[in-house]
Amino acid sequence: MPVQVETHARLDDAVRACAQSANARFFGGGTLLMRAVNEGDQSFDRIIRCSDPVLREIRMDGNAISIGAGVTMLEVMENRDTAFLAPVARIVGGPAVRSAATIGGNLYADLPYGEMTTALLALGATIRFAGDAQGVSIDDFLRDRASRRNRVVQSISIPRVGDAANFRFVKVTRVKPKGAALMSIAAYLNRSSGSGGIRVAYGNMGPMPVRALAVERALEGASLDERGIARALEVATEGLEPPTDAFASSWYRREVAPVHLKRLLLGSGRA
Amino acid sequence: MPIEFRKEFFADERDDNLNEIGKPTQRQDMIGHVTGRSPFYDDHLFDGLLHIRCVRSPHHHARIRSIDVSQAERMPGVKRVILGKDVPHNLNTLLSLLDFGLDDEPLIAEKKVSYKGEPVAAIVADSERAARDAVAKVRVDWEVLPHVLDVEEAIKPNAPVVNETYPKNLFIYHNKYDHQKLRYGDVEAAFREADHIVEGRYQMSPIEQAPTETCGAIAAPENNNRFVCYTSTQALFFSLGTAAKLLELPSNRMHFIGGTVGGGFGGKVDSLHEPLAILGVILTGRPCKYMFDRAEEMQVGAPRGAERWYIKDGVMNDGRIIARQFTGYFDSGAYTRLSSYAIIKGVGHLPGPYTIPNVHANVYCVFTNRTPATAMRGFGITGVDFSIEAHMDKVAETVGMDPIELRILNSYRDGDMKAHRRLAKNTALVECCQVAAEKAKWRISDEARRQTSLMGGGGERAKLPAHTVTDELGRVEGFSSGSYAAKTSSQPNLAPAAASVSRPVQSQYQPEQYRPSSPASTETPRTPNPAPAPLAAPVPQPASQDNGARRPMRFSSISGLRRR
Repeated sequence: MPVQVETHARLDDAVRACAQSANARFFGGGTLLMRAVNEGDQSFDRIIRCSDPVLREIRMDGNAISIGAGVTMLEVMENRDTAFLAPVARIVGGPAVRSAATIGGNLYADLPYGEMTTALLALGATIRFAGDAQGVSIDDFLRDRASRRNRVVQSISIPRVGDAANFRFVKVTRVKPKGAALMSIAAYLNRSSGSGGIRVAYGNMGPMPVRALAVERALEGASLDERGIARALEVATEGLEPPTDAFASSWYRREVAPVHLKRLLLGSGRA
Repeated sequence: MPIEFRKEFFADERDDNLNEIGKPTQRQDMIGHVTGRSPFYDDHLFDGLLHIRCVRSPHHHARIRSIDVSQAERMPGVKRVILGKDVPHNLNTLLSLLDFGLDDEPLIAEKKVSYKGEPVAAIVADSERAARDAVAKVRVDWEVLPHVLDVEEAIKPNAPVVNETYPKNLFIYHNKYDHQKLRYGDVEAAFREADHIVEGRYQMSPIEQAPTETCGAIAAPENNNRFVCYTSTQALFFSLGTAAKLLELPSNRMHFIGGTVGGGFGGKVDSLHEPLAILGVILTGRPCKYMFDRAEEMQVGAPRGAERWYIKDGVMNDGRIIARQFTGYFDSGAYTRLSSYAIIKGVGHLPGPYTIPNVHANVYCVFTNRTPATAMRGFGITGVDFSIEAHMDKVAETVGMDPIELRILNSYRDGDMKAHRRLAKNTALVECCQVAAEKAKWRISDEARRQTSLMGGGGERAKLPAHTVTDELGRVEGFSSGSYAAKTSSQPNLAPAAASVSRPVQSQYQPEQYRPSSPASTETPRTPNPAPAPLAAPVPQPASQDNGARRPMRFSSISGLRRR
């Protein structure tokens, strides 16, 4: 079958079209989906596009920011409210990819992509599906992401980060400036909010972005200096099973993770 | 950094009056490339274009018990399924056009596959997606065979037979030996006199050329019952000749159009796409495109082959290398593409740019269950040069000498006899070493700095060794060249007894007589092993066993003088 493309003006219609067919894929920005088309992926033959402006909204929602799933990396970079995410958006692909790739699509990106999702995991984002007011935590979303492939994300809600220094991100690549990551680390160090305010997430250290729970516990109440973070570095890869792929071996990832984590936490990384 | 020319080293060898060589010049295709206007083969559009995709082996080595295409044929958009039996002359070796090697590779495998990704069927369909969907519906009953992926494992006595044309998994050189020999002087005697023996093992992996534009071709019906073929080939007439042979079509019925190649580096000479695209046109009457996708380019596109080298040097305390012995293994993959020829080139290059009085090499072209290897930038030379230069450093370390001074000491000079028995001229390794040392701010002795390629060569160094030891190691019997080009030969080819392939390694290829084909026909008439038809104007040849001896000598760039 040739691939069919449908464009819907309303999100509801697009969601219905996706639900009707197991062979349908929702088109975010197409940077992953159209590559799959070009490579002859036979797991789908319908592409559902949606031009509903609700997907492109970035709006303040109390203490949170709600970002429409169709917002591109370029728009994240250019919007004042999401300026603290600009360092993440800027390292996704090259200019052409950034002007098309969406934050919603990034949630479904397989290895070695998905840096934005790593950042959203550290920020404790809430994922809201179309037609579902509740939303799920990103931790839950990632846990059974595979079973949610045919659901359409409408928006992603993240806390407003007051002090930009509280959110840190690094992408480790072999090829600069736009090689795929062998690892990325995002840290949200919101220590003023008391217990549970520290979240650290790794990308490409497992099949999908994953939290470094041992690191988070070790950083609880610790000062961000060499002595304060020593314990966190010791447990940098605890509970993780880093993959071996074309970019790095599992062993290498384990060896360098504490180095990059240290630079990130001390703010001594090379930009 | 501007290019720095050191023309002074060759000042007395030629006038510097050339208009292009040695002068910076703009590439003729540069404007087209940077403005996006260069036309590539895939830019040629045809109404009703069909797309070809191959069903490929998931196994390194397997017998094909049966192929069931019934489901695939019924898939929407499928116009035709092509099997090995549809290829008029389904056995070829690339260099048969140069009369080098035996036909050993089918365009589409019929009985067994010998590498992962080898095609066993081709689907011709309305769209690429329809072709892919039909490919997924082809059922092949495989009998998986043991495979071998290492060159030295492949030549052990009980190794699986990768390539039935060469049952020992070794290419046969000059119909005589299972390896290419180089014998110059007596290395064993020199080893006995040497102060040090330095040995090394060097290995390099296959390298994919990775062109931006993947390999492919588009063919279409043309006027006068011809076929036009737009192709990415780097070797247009080579591809034309190969298509003519595989399809049993006179070459004047095919109009090949090459041009801008979107990156080649040697990976676009294997001529696999043109014959299949044209066969698609013959069988469907419609334009056909056959193009690798990126995954195919990486898995099936032929790479620079892997090489393994063992080098053993006899060295004196003062750093002079008096003997050098090579054992080389080229991984040709499952079939002969160009590794056999790469070895001829490589052995001619031994022992590198050095004057060594005793040289010995046995270089093997080995078949393994890997993707067949082909050309890539200087292939045959690059691998062994890496080995030689790594080994030179090891020698320098052993005798405690500066590595650059060791190279200058052993460097060839104008007038020296090379191991391939030609006098060296225009040599400049000494100067190259001196300039490299200068640029790297590497201190070398005044003695080394005073050397020049113009002095110290010739004389005794121009003489052939007084005695060269020869041997019959690796001698084989019963092989004869495929003699594709030897149209006047009246002798049947002597294939080795074990070399029974789907169709015997045989037949002089005879171009089919011109025959208008009906566009409505979806079958190509297949003539199984046509008896050699009398040629238009043959020189009458008595059918005697020794008539080969009376044939004129012909010079071949890959095998020297050949009698035919």
